[in-house]
Amino acid sequence: MRRFGGRRLGQYVLVFAVAVTLNFLLPRLMPGNPLALLAGVDVGLMSAEERAEVIEAVGLNEPIISQYIDYWKSVVTGDFGFSYRSGRSISEMIGERLPWTLLITGAALVVSAVVGIVTGAFSAWRRGKKSDLTLLTGMISLESLPSFWLGMLLISIFSVQLGLFPSFGAVTPASDLVGWSHVRDIAEHAVLPIVTLSALSIPGVYLTMRYSMLEVLGEDFIRTARAKGASETRVLFGHVARNAMAPVVTFLAIRFAFAFGGSVIIETVFSYPGLGRLIFEAVSGRDYPVMQAAFLVITVAVLLANLLADVMYPILDPRSAET
Amino acid sequence: MASKRTVLSILVIVLALVAAACGSDSSDTTTTTEAEGTTQATTSEGTTATTGAATTATTAEVAPDPVTVRAAITDDEDTINPYTYISGFPGWNLLMMQYDSIMQIDSDGIPQPWLAESVTANADLTEYVIVLRDDVVWHDGVPLTADDVKFAYDYFIEWATGRFSRDLRGVESITVDGSTITIALAEPSPAFDLVALADIPIIPQHVWQDIETPGEIAFDIATNVGSGPFKLVDYTVDQFYRFEAHADYFLGASPVSELVVVVFADDAGTNAAIRSGEVDVVFERLSPEQVGLLDAQDPLDISQGPEFTTQMVNFDVTKRPFDDLAVRQAMSMGIDRQDLVDTVYLGSATVGSPGWVHPGKPVYNPAVAPTFDLAGANALLEDAGYTDSDGDGIREFDGQPMSFEMIVNSSDSLRLRLAELVSEMLGNIGIEATVASVETSTWEEAVWPGFDIGNGRNYELAMWGWSAPVQANTIRAAQLFHSDPGIGFLNLTGFAHEDVDSVSAQLQTEADPATSDQLVSDLQVLLADNVPFIMLAYPDGAYVYNSDVYADWEFIAGQGIVNKLSLLPVSARP
Repeated sequence: MRRFGGRRLGQYVLVFAVAVTLNFLLPRLMPGNPLALLAGVDVGLMSAEERAEVIEAVGLNEPIISQYIDYWKSVVTGDFGFSYRSGRSISEMIGERLPWTLLITGAALVVSAVVGIVTGAFSAWRRGKKSDLTLLTGMISLESLPSFWLGMLLISIFSVQLGLFPSFGAVTPASDLVGWSHVRDIAEHAVLPIVTLSALSIPGVYLTMRYSMLEVLGEDFIRTARAKGASETRVLFGHVARNAMAPVVTFLAIRFAFAFGGSVIIETVFSYPGLGRLIFEAVSGRDYPVMQAAFLVITVAVLLANLLADVMYPILDPRSAET
Repeated sequence: MASKRTVLSILVIVLALVAAACGSDSSDTTTTTEAEGTTQATTSEGTTATTGAATTATTAEVAPDPVTVRAAITDDEDTINPYTYISGFPGWNLLMMQYDSIMQIDSDGIPQPWLAESVTANADLTEYVIVLRDDVVWHDGVPLTADDVKFAYDYFIEWATGRFSRDLRGVESITVDGSTITIALAEPSPAFDLVALADIPIIPQHVWQDIETPGEIAFDIATNVGSGPFKLVDYTVDQFYRFEAHADYFLGASPVSELVVVVFADDAGTNAAIRSGEVDVVFERLSPEQVGLLDAQDPLDISQGPEFTTQMVNFDVTKRPFDDLAVRQAMSMGIDRQDLVDTVYLGSATVGSPGWVHPGKPVYNPAVAPTFDLAGANALLEDAGYTDSDGDGIREFDGQPMSFEMIVNSSDSLRLRLAELVSEMLGNIGIEATVASVETSTWEEAVWPGFDIGNGRNYELAMWGWSAPVQANTIRAAQLFHSDPGIGFLNLTGFAHEDVDSVSAQLQTEADPATSDQLVSDLQVLLADNVPFIMLAYPDGAYVYNSDVYADWEFIAGQGIVNKLSLLPVSARP
């Protein structure tokens, strides 16, 4: 059954086109230029002709319109070209970095979803009591912690002082591990970044769940269920939680979109080779092709996540389905 | 209650997952590379999760020979060959671990014959005759010959690399006769040994002769066949490099059998890693406030000394009021450089010399010591007509207040602190300099648009700094001060002075050492009198290493401790 008409799809296409245009324009609007990246650190030593050659070699001297058209070509064919900094294929670079980002942000999403939902439900259930208020205060405090500070604190305690976890990287460098050891190595390195990311995402999920639960708890059908003699468990899981989930699920779906590029700070603190850091370095150096490609990945991810949320919400809450 | 149970069971599962991830036996996760590091004790009494140290062996015994050293850097350097390495430091250092140059600077910064048995220059420094050693082999076993040297230099002349190509400007011909290479220069080049012979890596003809248009191809590390003490064998982008010692290195194989260079995102990460024992040395210099902290930790030691990076304040000398010498001199006089050194660098810096040359160099002219004189600076400005007519504490020029924006790059926290202090000090002489912290590319673009001084300047006041090689190369000072853009391509302030032009130009080609020294001396006086920019300080370099793993680090001013000399047997060092 198609819930989506051509109109909705058309809206998405329009948003995509606007986003792609912005992805193209914004890097070029920034002051500075990629010359240092292209020519290398000794760019100041080069002659004007050498610098001009460098610019020409990547087509930056072409009129902006033809650059824009070339960009659309690359979007359509999926051929993102080569990085100004390293000359490597950008698809390859993104292919290397994206999985690491998704590992930590995906795992953090799952952890924060589970913990957030459970604690949010618990808090709503115990509304007004000491446990609820403690949790609420705790969560709000947690949310106000700066992410980099929390990350550095965890490194300081768990890596430097206690030596329990590695302080950096996705794997132990130059270690040639294979199989299960390799998996364990990856897991060890991922723990602190995931804990940091989760700690900062949990409050959002918690608050959404708590609020949503409180809304549902006030509904008449809950009173009816209790009056019917349903057990507390059945009321909680069968009625309240299910109905409260809809806003939380859409919240998580949107969060998933940010999983693609949004962990720059954590990736920097932990020197994790993810997409976020790649974007940051590309922006600093004005590596236009990398920026464009990475922003495109994020754009597509956000649009898909939106689409997912749009599709799922009516399923969870049929009252909002289009008839 | 149901929800309590749920919460508890979730927490238990999470903890269990965490415990499983850490693993209780560390034996199969540690590798030979980690065995030697002395690290924080892994006994973790009282923690709920059972864990073993992930990357550190429980009882480490320091292996006598061979040694693996893990070094930390904060930026990826691509495939580190002459066409792909990214930064001057540490990129060039890592490049020169794999390749050799004809000469090599020793710890005092003096070039010594390296691949050469001997290097002799003729009287007017227009010809250099190099006699090559005959016991050098490339990593693949092929002997290194004079033909390789000629090939390498010709190749860099033909295929521009920036640094090495510019080093070779002025080379007219290179001829080979057996093991002798004769380089003829169009003009006398007194510093040719320092800027070219000790700087340029020799690349193998048999590998590079088939590579056309090197700027456009994507290299892999198989191209990195060099003659140097280390060979790059493994590279994971943005994560690490692995070098292995070259067993047949002509000065003897390095006692360090494996060098793992790990890429971090920033210095907070490198400092945490050296403290936790995950790396054994950090390439980049420490921030002054880190020195005491790291030194206090037992296996860690600090190697410290003066360096040649410079911190300065640039102004646009072509714009009012900075075109007035009195203003520039007053500003220079109003800065308490010692205060800057003590406050920002905690004493670990040398006060900047208005004559540009570092006080530690033999050619330094003590007559140009900086003066800090607030009263004098104020008087100078008053007498020159820059008075504060409306009593707001800010002087005026041409009817407008002397109120300027001073830009600084946000990524350098020490420079930011310098900027804040300098701003205060300028306030004391009635000049308002508002510190604007901008992103690095923006700042570069404002000070040096397009890296071409022909594009002018887009700033009023700016914090700036030059890297060590610029200072180290006193002979080529004309790059910084000459008014002709072709010669003074690093002249970012638009400075122009006839005498400075003639002295600095003459210096570049002066073959007689005594005359050369006199010219440098004169130049310093001229610079101090005419203030092309305000020299603030030369920060020291402090480098941290784990002395239990490897302790024979050699401090070369401007190159830090992770350089080629450090990794050679001590007896083999010049």
